[in-house]
Amino acid sequence: MVIMRAIWFVSQIAFFGLIASRMVAVEDYFRYYVGGLSVMTLYSAAIFIGFDIYEEAEHGVFEYLLSLPVTRRELVLGRSIGGGLRAFIYVGPLMCISLYVIGIANPTNFLLALFSLFLFAFGISGMSITLAVVIKSSDRFDILMGVLDALIVRLSTAMYPLSFVREANPIYGWVANFNPVTYAADLFRWGTGIESFLSFENPLLPLLGIVLFFAFFMFVGIVLYDKSIEGGGWQ
Amino acid sequence: MAPIIRMVNLTKKFGDFTAVDHLNLEVEEGEILGLLGPNGAGKTTTILMLATVIRPTEGTAYVGGYDVRKNPDRVRELLGVAFQEPKMLWVSTPWDVVNWHAKVCGLPTQERKRRVREVLEALDMWDYRHRSVHALSGGMRKRVEIAKVLIQRPKIAIVDEPTAQIDVVGKHKIWRMLRELCDEGTTIILATNELYEADVLSDRVGIMHRGKLLVCDTPQKLKDSIVGGDIVEIQFEAEPSPKIVEELGQFKEVVKIIKTMASTLRLYLNRVEEVVPKIMSTLMREGAAVSSIRMSEPSLDDVFAHYTGLTLEEAQKGGGG
Repeated sequence: MVIMRAIWFVSQIAFFGLIASRMVAVEDYFRYYVGGLSVMTLYSAAIFIGFDIYEEAEHGVFEYLLSLPVTRRELVLGRSIGGGLRAFIYVGPLMCISLYVIGIANPTNFLLALFSLFLFAFGISGMSITLAVVIKSSDRFDILMGVLDALIVRLSTAMYPLSFVREANPIYGWVANFNPVTYAADLFRWGTGIESFLSFENPLLPLLGIVLFFAFFMFVGIVLYDKSIEGGGWQ
Repeated sequence: MAPIIRMVNLTKKFGDFTAVDHLNLEVEEGEILGLLGPNGAGKTTTILMLATVIRPTEGTAYVGGYDVRKNPDRVRELLGVAFQEPKMLWVSTPWDVVNWHAKVCGLPTQERKRRVREVLEALDMWDYRHRSVHALSGGMRKRVEIAKVLIQRPKIAIVDEPTAQIDVVGKHKIWRMLRELCDEGTTIILATNELYEADVLSDRVGIMHRGKLLVCDTPQKLKDSIVGGDIVEIQFEAEPSPKIVEELGQFKEVVKIIKTMASTLRLYLNRVEEVVPKIMSTLMREGAAVSSIRMSEPSLDDVFAHYTGLTLEEAQKGGGG
């Protein structure tokens, strides 16, 4: 899985990124695309934890985790952070390739961006876990993840600047404006110095968006998790 | 003293299926309570409710004074569970599984390392500690599962079929370890469908069938509750006189006497251990020449059959989930 993702990532940079940047009349599109691609890859790695939930339920590991002397809050927090960290471990080497390609202009900005990417990964993991336990069906979850991937990633600024999204359709622009992938991609580009097409002038705005997204799925998600799990409905 | 676990009309329904049906049961601190029943009797569902893994549909249970519905976090602090199917997590070796469990249960590093070693050695799993759990046999995986409870030493341990798939020597070792755990102050709930296990390990046995608790008492009292359940077979050297048969029939413990052969009497009676000396003195007084005497008392299988009308094997075949 990791190897497959790495091959896909490198191919996207080496082929799609290079070729598309010659077609697109956006300044420095290649670096812009590589930054967005890193966030997209992080998203798809972090979302994967939801599938683990079904596997755990199938093998009864869920029962074990639920019987441990820890609170549900600690359990969700632990799983989300674990899922986010795992995503970072998977994507870490690919991020390094990205950074080699696009460079780092300001180390302080980059560290702040990296911190926000951690929160983004934890939030995506939390979202994935919450949706998995609420939906309770691996097939339906699979479909929803496909739909979310299509909408959240495509209607973000991961692959194209916000001004172009707005031009295509104001509703698309509105969605992209309230999208955690947009916030993460913006912060990553800001952190690495690709500032020509940032969606927000003030980086604190996307940072706030990511913090809110993380907080929502950490703490509101716990309530849903509690209600969905302890009733035994997942059985 | 208040019971450490009190189940009050504890009920769990999955759709139209009632897995546990208005269970009322108390468990005293420091005892081993065996829950005996075939697959589908509701033992595991009861355990999952006590462990706060699933919420009761109706009724509740108080564990250490805490309501499983209202204070599940406090309940879990008191419990350790060894599941029926070993739960191996995503980690890959017995050492990882047990060490991770001990870590989550809050054992300090040094104590954790020492106890992981102690428990794995005691369960004959130390040599296999770095082997992938996926390469272990069913019995070995089961040992790793039971190791979690042994290392945790919780206030209340719940063990679901702890010796399933384990060889005879291993079974005895685990029974001894569970008994030691109990002696150290842990209350144990043992869910099993092995009659002998329930008999040798439990202070009291609750028999469950189709989600209901049929009876709960000490194994001996359960056996004694079967009227005429004990059997004494006396083989005489010659046909016994009618007087002997009449005198034996006068003991209040004797329920029925059958002459199975010309020189053999089979007595169905209660409390065999008390009545045999009286039988012996009668036979000696009458000068009866006896070739042999065989005694047998009812097993828990007989008790189960007495209360359900089915043998455990028959109930297992017809049992639900």
